Amino acid sequence: MKPDAIARRLAELREAGAKLRRRPASETLAALERVLDGWRDADSPWRRSLEAELPEASGFSAATVREGLARGLTSWSGAALRELVEREIGPAERLDAASTPLASGFDSTAVLLAGSIPMPSLLAMIAPLALRSPVLVKPASRDLLTPRLVARSLAETDAELGQCLGIVEFPGGDEACSGALLEADCIVATGSDATVAAVRARVRTPRRVVTYGHRCSVAALGAAATRGRALREAARRLALDVALWDQLGCLSPIAVYVAGGDPAAPDRAAEALADALAEAEARWPRGAVDAASAAAIAHERADAELRAAAGRRVALHASPGGTAWTVVREENAAPRPAPLHRFLRVHPVPDADALLSALRPLGAHLAAVAIEGFGAGAHPLARGLAELGASRICRAGNLQSPPLGWRHDGRGVLAPIARFADFETA
Amino acid sequence: MRASRGAPDPARAELDAEILDWMREAEWREDEGRFERLALALFAFQFEHCAAYRSFCEGRGRAPGRVRSWRDVPPVPSGAFKELALRCFPAERTVVSFRTSGTATSARGALHLDTLELYEGSLLPSFRRHLLPDLPAGERVLLLVLAPPPEEAPDSSLTHMFAVAIRELGAPGSAFQVKAGELAADRVLRDLREAEASGTPVVLCGTAFAFVHLLDELERRGVRAALPSGSRLMETGGFKGRSRELSRAELYADLAEALGVPESRMLNQYGMTELGSQFYDSVLLQPGEPRRKLAPPWTRVAIVDPRNGAGVRVGETGAIVVVDLANTGSVLAIQTADVGRALRDGFEVLGREPGAEQRGCSIAADELLRANP
Repeated sequence: MKPDAIARRLAELREAGAKLRRRPASETLAALERVLDGWRDADSPWRRSLEAELPEASGFSAATVREGLARGLTSWSGAALRELVEREIGPAERLDAASTPLASGFDSTAVLLAGSIPMPSLLAMIAPLALRSPVLVKPASRDLLTPRLVARSLAETDAELGQCLGIVEFPGGDEACSGALLEADCIVATGSDATVAAVRARVRTPRRVVTYGHRCSVAALGAAATRGRALREAARRLALDVALWDQLGCLSPIAVYVAGGDPAAPDRAAEALADALAEAEARWPRGAVDAASAAAIAHERADAELRAAAGRRVALHASPGGTAWTVVREENAAPRPAPLHRFLRVHPVPDADALLSALRPLGAHLAAVAIEGFGAGAHPLARGLAELGASRICRAGNLQSPPLGWRHDGRGVLAPIARFADFETA
Repeated sequence: MRASRGAPDPARAELDAEILDWMREAEWREDEGRFERLALALFAFQFEHCAAYRSFCEGRGRAPGRVRSWRDVPPVPSGAFKELALRCFPAERTVVSFRTSGTATSARGALHLDTLELYEGSLLPSFRRHLLPDLPAGERVLLLVLAPPPEEAPDSSLTHMFAVAIRELGAPGSAFQVKAGELAADRVLRDLREAEASGTPVVLCGTAFAFVHLLDELERRGVRAALPSGSRLMETGGFKGRSRELSRAELYADLAEALGVPESRMLNQYGMTELGSQFYDSVLLQPGEPRRKLAPPWTRVAIVDPRNGAGVRVGETGAIVVVDLANTGSVLAIQTADVGRALRDGFEVLGREPGAEQRGCSIAADELLRANP
């Protein structure tokens, strides 16, 4: 795609957005509610197409895609979208011209997607439309499919709404095309810290720029979840959190911290997690892995093996005959390389305070923390985690199904891409 | 650095002497039988003298006698040097410990040596053969090094390598050009101008990020150089957040434009603190042939399938495992975190950026700490 074609597309979208804004906001919102309800329906043609085609495009196994979408979309209903608008904007009518205080989306929003998980891409495209801001999206190189299917779902639900989503594809390093895309009035970029910093540096002011950079998630088990049935259940649920999207999302736990001071608890937890990941592999096989990731997994497995051989309290549990899953029982809470692709480390921490200290270096980059077995200590722990920077604390097993209204990075979904104005008449 | 104490183990001394003899031979000859014999003998020695390595091998069911090929010697991961002292001699015999670069929050790997003879014995013939194949015997060249001097980086193996190169091959004026952690830009530019004026070919060596700093400095001052014919560049290492990041193709293209040295006279050196030997691009030794890394005869580079450790076929990619006879005091077989492509003779290094496109905004904790020390 050429820069002038992108500029033309942006102009067309601005016109389509102006047309959309002449309709009542509630009409657009109702159409988007139908779109989301359609995506929740496992039999909808869009959902079926995504389930059928995403595995080859992304490398995820078909079972993982199916399960990931089923769990991820469960709570993403039309009603949830309406609630989100109510919470962050107010009644939908507030977006109409006659209302006060004034709230609106931008005349156009550019959305730069990253990664290969469809859920965040879906929401990133829908959110500006809920504010009646037309969207020009640059898909992630690993997932060209989701934007196309979202465009189709919009067009089939509401033709005028469908005209408010455009897709532009060009290589990552194409500065001219990138410059044309960044002429949009609001820019939403997701990706590595370096990627989003580069986007921010290129944007001409004044423009609204909303970026989502590097994030990671972890889990923690309190004493009550470190033995018997409670441990097995927690491990089963955490294995699901790891297995879905092959641990490649910012909500995928990369480590499990075992608190409580029982020196055998991390051993038990590592064994239970290994069993659970083996079971998860049978149900939702791990997808394709590039050579560098496989090399990183092999390197870290050998590293754990050698540390164990040297007498350190380290244990390696690994899938036989391949790199499908790995659990390493660590001797302390120090962060170590995380090759992802279902590679989990289990760190001992004496108590909740030590857990917070261990997570402090990750704080600003912490997305979510799944906690189990802390009993009455759960609330003060959640408070401590939030103060560190986590924007979501949830139960094990729920990491991959965030509510539609989860305040990603603690900022909200719609508010960061909306314009508000207070009209003081007295 | 201090002198080694006491006599080395006789078996080790014998192995060291044989390997040094090989390194000193004027002609490089591939000799599979000789490599196999020395690798297995060294494995047996290291198995006996490094307890952690012995346990590691036993865990994999490998031991001298049962291991019949260098390909079956269990490689230790390069990352293990960060926390385990993998050495086959008493700690008090250590004469130098080279350390990897690191950040405030990440541990630094260390290669402990009880002798520098093998390290230097390996580095010099490789440096000379690949970077200076046209240098007549007994002659010296102007070596300008974009790296800190030994007094500022006493535990850097790279600095030591350059110091040895200057000592053995450097003409008057050869010098380190990074001082107090900064590129000594005025000095470099003065030296380059003088070389240009006198027609003296320059060998410019250094870290990749130091070359980026040089480019930025030339750009800032609005100057370019046209280095005399015969000049050449050697860069090594990554950027590691020390400069803006460029692909190697971009770096070479920019350097060619800024310094007037053709890309065909620019080499990358692949090396790491944990290894006694280094691997260079073939372009000066075999001009006109495809660029690839060549290995000295006392090393083997295996590109293996990470899932099972089996060697891949020519043209395929896999994890890089190095078996290096120069590593007599530590462990000879190292499993790197790098990915390479196997070639008929030699190999390509493809880097270590796993699945960036697949991951989107997720990040591994260690990368996060590296990025935000």
